[in-house]
Amino acid sequence: MEHLFTNIAQILTSWMVSLGLPPIWADLILLIGQWTIIVVIVTLNVIVLVWLERKISGFIQERLGPNRLGPFGAFQTIADAMKLLTKEDIIPSQADRWIFMTAPMLFIVIAVMLYAVLPLGQGMEVVDLNVGLFYFISLGSLSTICLLMAGWGSNNKWSLLGAMRSVAQMISYEIPLAFSLLGVVMLAGSLNLSEIVTAQNRYWFILLQPVAFLTYFIAATAELNRGPFDMPEAEQELTAGAYTEYTGMRWALFFLAEYTNLVAVSALAATLFFGGGQGPWLPSWLWIIIKTYLIMLVFMWMKWTFPRIRMDHLMSFSWKVLIPVSLANILITGLGIEFFRGMGW
Amino acid sequence: MIETETYTINIGPQHPSTHGGLHVEAIMDGEEVKDAIVHVGYVHRSVEKIAESRTYAQFVPYASRLDYLASHLPTLGYVQAVEKLAGIIVPERAEYIRVIVSELSRIASHMIFVGSLAIDLGATTGMVYCFRDRERIMDMFEMSSGQRMIASYMRLGGISADLPESFYPAVESFINDLPGMIAEYHGLISGNEILQERCKDVGILSAQDAVAYGVTGPNLRASGVDYDLRRDDPYGIYPRFEFRVPTGQNGDSWDRFMVRIEEMEQSGRIIKQALRDMPSGEIQAKVPRILKPEKGREVYHRVESSKGELGFHLVSDGSDKPYRVHVRAPSFINLMVLPLICRGGKLQDVITNIATLDPVLGESDR
Amino acid sequence: MIGKGLLKGLGITLKHGVEKPKTIQYPEQRPYLQERFRGCLEFDYKNCIVCGMCTKACPNNVLSFETAPIEGSKKKRLVSYTIDLQYCMFCNLCVEACPTNTLFFVHDFELSTYRRDEIKKVYIPPALTQVDAGGGQAELIPQDALEPDREAEAEAKRLKQLQAMKTALSKGGQKVLAKYVDTEEDAAVLANLLQADEKKRDKMAALIVDDKEKARKVAQAFVAKERKTQAGGEEK
Repeated sequence: MEHLFTNIAQILTSWMVSLGLPPIWADLILLIGQWTIIVVIVTLNVIVLVWLERKISGFIQERLGPNRLGPFGAFQTIADAMKLLTKEDIIPSQADRWIFMTAPMLFIVIAVMLYAVLPLGQGMEVVDLNVGLFYFISLGSLSTICLLMAGWGSNNKWSLLGAMRSVAQMISYEIPLAFSLLGVVMLAGSLNLSEIVTAQNRYWFILLQPVAFLTYFIAATAELNRGPFDMPEAEQELTAGAYTEYTGMRWALFFLAEYTNLVAVSALAATLFFGGGQGPWLPSWLWIIIKTYLIMLVFMWMKWTFPRIRMDHLMSFSWKVLIPVSLANILITGLGIEFFRGMGW
Repeated sequence: MIETETYTINIGPQHPSTHGGLHVEAIMDGEEVKDAIVHVGYVHRSVEKIAESRTYAQFVPYASRLDYLASHLPTLGYVQAVEKLAGIIVPERAEYIRVIVSELSRIASHMIFVGSLAIDLGATTGMVYCFRDRERIMDMFEMSSGQRMIASYMRLGGISADLPESFYPAVESFINDLPGMIAEYHGLISGNEILQERCKDVGILSAQDAVAYGVTGPNLRASGVDYDLRRDDPYGIYPRFEFRVPTGQNGDSWDRFMVRIEEMEQSGRIIKQALRDMPSGEIQAKVPRILKPEKGREVYHRVESSKGELGFHLVSDGSDKPYRVHVRAPSFINLMVLPLICRGGKLQDVITNIATLDPVLGESDR
Repeated sequence: MIGKGLLKGLGITLKHGVEKPKTIQYPEQRPYLQERFRGCLEFDYKNCIVCGMCTKACPNNVLSFETAPIEGSKKKRLVSYTIDLQYCMFCNLCVEACPTNTLFFVHDFELSTYRRDEIKKVYIPPALTQVDAGGGQAELIPQDALEPDREAEAEAKRLKQLQAMKTALSKGGQKVLAKYVDTEEDAAVLANLLQADEKKRDKMAALIVDDKEKARKVAQAFVAKERKTQAGGEEK
């Protein structure tokens, strides 16, 4: 079970080589195949996630959540997706057409590109990049541009406000996010995600870096634009923020991308702080799925409990609390490493 | 020096958190509100004019529709105004029942306040819990009057029907559970640091300004003015009850929130006392079927509604219909301080301020 | 400590998250309605004394009715009663005003209709629409639903009566015919004539069922003619 997927990949490669394909071509085809499978799985997973989120909000609010279509309402999201696909695609006449149209596409492309480096099990990453973490963070900050495009292109005051908020927020929270991960990198001595997982053989980094995890978790919530930091959307204030003018499938793409980002960020948290695929009895790819889902449940739980924070408090929280804390964490980690190295560990 | 420009943003009339058809034209400088202009009248139904073409008794259901979140309170104000006009004396038991249902209405209205504040600030779950608890009050109204929201339970000279037997255990268990409910709101909503940050020092209304603008009700008390019509200009049988009038100090959104929470507790106390002292007997005074008050009589009667001082000004011309009815709607007058308390705040504070002023647009626009 | 309130909030939502839902799954699970619940306004014609208190009490002109005078009495009888539910506020004022419990609220609250005119309820007391309705069926039938039924019923009834009349006449039927002629002798003459002549018998039966005035004239004409032929026969 543990090597189920890696074995399949090996069999496929050797089969293609036996057909007379040069090994480099076989690798390339396999790469594209893996990539496609991941994109498909991730998008289909969103259907489950939307259902899960609605169910959880239902349970928290003493309701049942969707329960009409299929067992426990499981097909509700599919019906919703159908509806969104068949809806009229409205582009406001005053909108900047090209920017308006490309923003959601770019957003989803960036969101799925994050999965290239995530180890979804032992030896199960599409690209074993030696600067994987760096790649992840830099790509993640690109999505700011998409939201700005959406807000600007819509030519709507609410959208623009939402977009400006998201830019300010995401740029401010990039910094504590990166700093909090730095502690982990210092401990593991590598930016390669699979090497970081291997480094957690003895202890999960949550035990060594609890502060870093907390900073990462808060900053990631802000990066994801999820409650209580859902400034760009802010339904009660900005109607729907940057997404106000979007309809049908274009809006659904934003939705899809947000959930895709949620999975990516949770999977990264599982990889960096909870030992990735490590765990007893079960195969590594199952472990990472379980851990990712558990982290996502916490994200959802938080969203349905907390009110939205105010914009200026959000900014001052980032600059006055999170960044100093994460910097201090780096310092203490560095000192600790030096200390234990001096002790001869 | 960079030149900046202000821009207008229209909050409403179709907006998720304007509590109905309210339109606030906010003049913004970035995220900061330079000025706000309140436009009301989207829910205007000319209730005062309707009253002139209805008999005194027929207007009761319309009065219910003024403040539909606490429908017993405007009807109480109206029927007491007519009783003053025509000199009708209401039986004891009816008075007690009126107090019980109006205080329940006040609790229901404040529960909606807490819930809508929660959802306006983004905490959806808080809203659901408040509405879940309010549902028990609605059930009690269904027991007593037959209608849940717009009960039209009051009648000239009494009430439409005596309380059913099932009402007493329901109201007692509700009053006993009320502290638990409030503790839960404190845990989920007011105990939350994010909410505290968003309410404290937001939309400060000084006592002078509040009095100058004619603000009444919990909004006035939050500014530190100790003024409650139930105690200071008592009507009905309110002097018989013992209760505290909660006040705030700063007049910010947080105080407006906490004052209402405490008012719920005090209403619970009043209901407890009323249940204890309630006599048996008649519930309806003898009122002529066609009520024709003396010509030229004029009354102004005010009650402490959940939103503030709710006044009815009636003029009689000797016929069976009032010559003129004017409603002093607290929501309307309270809303007028919105520009004052929004100036200099953030866009998100406008939402907080609308929520904590707690306007009901049905009453404000009449 | 900052964060304590946040954790407490999370605890509360977790506690309720594992509790049983408090909602009612509406179309399958029916809500419990209190006894006084005011759903749909209904009208029972049997108690109505046509006093008009309800229309006077109604603030919104929901109720209206038509009356017709009862012959030989100062009272009026109800021709139709209309509840235009789209204007109803369910305020209970008409029900309280009604002295005979003719108006009442029922617990049916699902009042939506596909067309606007369907929400207007018209009650026509069956005494008006069904002549000799055999004890009066106590069911309320809205006007448009009633109209075609009444015609069919009347037609069926007429055929039944006609058949009965024909058989009666073929067997004699002096007593029936006595109403249409002056003397019993004449009736006997007519009975004999109709027993013999099937054509005339059918005509007579139809006339008796449909138009009693004409039947009388025709019957007398028949008798006169028969007398004449009888007299002529005797003369010959």
